[in-house]
Amino acid sequence: MICCLASISSCSYDNFDEPKAMLTGKAVYDGEPVGVRSGSSEFALFQDGYALHGSIPVYIAQDGSYAINLFNGEYKLVRVGNAPWEKPSNDTIRITVKGNTVQDIPVTPYFFIKNVSFAKNGKAIQATFTLNKVVSTANLEDVSLYLGSGILTDNNHKEAVCSLGKDVSLEQETTAEINIPDKLANETAIFARIGVKSDKSSEYCYSQSIKIALN
Amino acid sequence: MKSNYIKIFLMGAAITSLLSSCGDSWFARDPKNILTNEQIWNDPAMIKSQLANLYNRIPQLHGNFNTGGMCETDDAMYCGTLDQNYRNELRYRNDYGRWWDYGFIRDINMSIENIEKYATEISEESKIQFKAEFRFIRAYIYFELVRRMGGVPLITTTLEYDFNGDPSYLRNPRAKEHEVYDFIYDECEEIKSQLGNAGSQTRANYYTALALESRAMLYAGSIAKYNALKTPNIVTPGGEVGIPSDMADGYYQKSLAASREIIEKGGYELYNKEADKGVNFYKMMMDKTGNKEAIWVKDYQNPLKVHSFGYDNVIHHLREDNDNSSCIGPSLGLVEAFDYLDGTPGTLRYKDGDDYIVYDTPSDIFANKDARLYGTIIYPGTKFRGQDVDIQAGVAIWNDATGSYDLLTDPNLGSFYTDNKKFVGLDGPQTNTPNVSNTGFYIRKYISEASGYTLRNYAENWWPWFRLGEIYLNAAESAFELNDEASALTYINKLRERAGFTANSLTTLTLEKIQNERRVELAFEDHRYFDMKRWRIADTTWNGNEDNDKAVVYGLYPYRIAKAKPGTQDQNKYLFVKTRSERFKVARTFQQSNYYAFIADDVINNNPSIVKNPFQ
Repeated sequence: MICCLASISSCSYDNFDEPKAMLTGKAVYDGEPVGVRSGSSEFALFQDGYALHGSIPVYIAQDGSYAINLFNGEYKLVRVGNAPWEKPSNDTIRITVKGNTVQDIPVTPYFFIKNVSFAKNGKAIQATFTLNKVVSTANLEDVSLYLGSGILTDNNHKEAVCSLGKDVSLEQETTAEINIPDKLANETAIFARIGVKSDKSSEYCYSQSIKIALN
Repeated sequence: MKSNYIKIFLMGAAITSLLSSCGDSWFARDPKNILTNEQIWNDPAMIKSQLANLYNRIPQLHGNFNTGGMCETDDAMYCGTLDQNYRNELRYRNDYGRWWDYGFIRDINMSIENIEKYATEISEESKIQFKAEFRFIRAYIYFELVRRMGGVPLITTTLEYDFNGDPSYLRNPRAKEHEVYDFIYDECEEIKSQLGNAGSQTRANYYTALALESRAMLYAGSIAKYNALKTPNIVTPGGEVGIPSDMADGYYQKSLAASREIIEKGGYELYNKEADKGVNFYKMMMDKTGNKEAIWVKDYQNPLKVHSFGYDNVIHHLREDNDNSSCIGPSLGLVEAFDYLDGTPGTLRYKDGDDYIVYDTPSDIFANKDARLYGTIIYPGTKFRGQDVDIQAGVAIWNDATGSYDLLTDPNLGSFYTDNKKFVGLDGPQTNTPNVSNTGFYIRKYISEASGYTLRNYAENWWPWFRLGEIYLNAAESAFELNDEASALTYINKLRERAGFTANSLTTLTLEKIQNERRVELAFEDHRYFDMKRWRIADTTWNGNEDNDKAVVYGLYPYRIAKAKPGTQDQNKYLFVKTRSERFKVARTFQQSNYYAFIADDVINNNPSIVKNPFQ
């Protein structure tokens, strides 16, 4: 009887501790985080030295940040497709994860929006920004302003959109307005964002989602 | 004592010698559970058995009665049990549609090689015929591979490891995408006259090979043309993905030639036995006797081999089993894709500005539509198995204060309202209930009306891999792309005549018209996903945008007017409301990376010469 109990207590199948090291960081360009559509973009993480060599998906949040819980060790991070930035050919970034580690990932978006500011202007939101072209072979397809009721605002989830098309000058300050739709008129605050799309990717590259008080 | 031992010894010796003298054959029996190659490949029955195994393993994405798969495009949503609701929150993952079964390829290659090596006692014609049939299955499998993954390693012999420590000679690279399509064509051309099986609808014959050419070459042509036009960035430098656009015409011509030969010489006919064209389109799928439309099917037979499509999808209150039913909820988008018989586009008229348009009966809104609608989808006011269906979402009550109708529903199916008339139909729809339609429509195609056939594991109607209707569409599209609009119109109009339209119903043609015709004729036949891909419109149509009607599956809910607007005669008439089910959470999201499924990590690890797909 006592032998049985002893054997049961010493029998443990799952004898690994859970991973505790958080690897965090953001996708950055020119010192600034790169905004993406929530749920669209990923990095892939590999670790050598094991029999199975599958990749670990690293999901990128809408503000460009990522966080993943790992074991300590040496990892290789790869930038993959479906993102509004280039997929470079020499693309492996080696990361040593030891305890909580921070690693920003440099990316090269095809177009980028800088110096963004929003202001309420009567029943519209006025946006001021500068559009930069980063990859010379990319062609501009669309620049759009978005308004949303929550921080997750993008081309697929928005309450209002104003498309400026291709008619946006590069490297100079642009001002544009988007009307506040009726369904948002009574909110205390709304969120605004600017997205730019090139012909090289099906995803928009976004500015950060900014909260604007309506009163 | 000693004498006893001697006696026992002598006794033992005697018994043993007895045994061994009558027991030589006992030790030399054939095993009953092991068959040698010499036995298998010299017995036509065994070879057929191997063929049957391979035919049975042919893959599908949304076909062969795969109910869940049929709910993963814009043609339907999933209305079954809640555990499969992921089908209504579908962003196609990077591995969606992935298939890479080289074990299957090896089995085929092994069969072909073994016939060559071991078959000495069957006739030379039999050997040629069997090998041709194995090669057909292999060509079809390579078609499945290339349309999901792009160019793949073209392996036509069995690969054996020599255990010398260096497996690098086994690491075959991916062929170019067009090379795989060329292989399929060349194989079909070589084997078509060797296949025999004339007249068979379940085994490959001359026209089955041509049907594969008709479809595969059309795919290659449209990928060559539309990849360059719409998604020129989806290529790999080595050609594993991406067919040069100057090859498009050649492929369209090959497809058209094959389609023409089937139509003109194959002895097939568009099924047209029934006067009522709606019933005719339904019966086309169910009738197995003298059905000249079917070119190649996967057959079933009760009780030997059955399926459960009826059990999965029969309209709710007419189910015969105690469980399941109603899983496929066809979309409003699909219903509206069926034109009106006068040629006007099929958008349903349920609203006039802000006002509802009122109908006397629920089926009136669907009057004078393409007869294929009846044959494919059960809509309100129609019948199934001779009985009325009961599709009503609730009642509409005029509200004087707001000057509009209040729409009331009830959780109980078959309930009655305070006026003692129907509140909610026995067949729903309901916005969030499992095993009842959440769109207001059910599927009719493939579901038998014979008694008992919607019980689980009972159905025996066949699955159409190739039928003449598709060949007409292939011919129309390839002719159109080769700028022969006249021929294209002949083919499409013939198909539309069978659907209840007058002769020559179309006088001009656009690609959109052909695409729409394909959608309604081949609904739920495992074409939609692949067609949207090869036309390169999947990523812009199914763009995940919640405001995009084409990416969201809507329903149409009928309401009985229980209290009419004053001054109208609308009491107990019907209005319809476009409704998005609560269960349909996410607009279909197809990204450019979905055009070619990501190759699995373990495949690339085993064979570093495998080039990744774009975006991977």
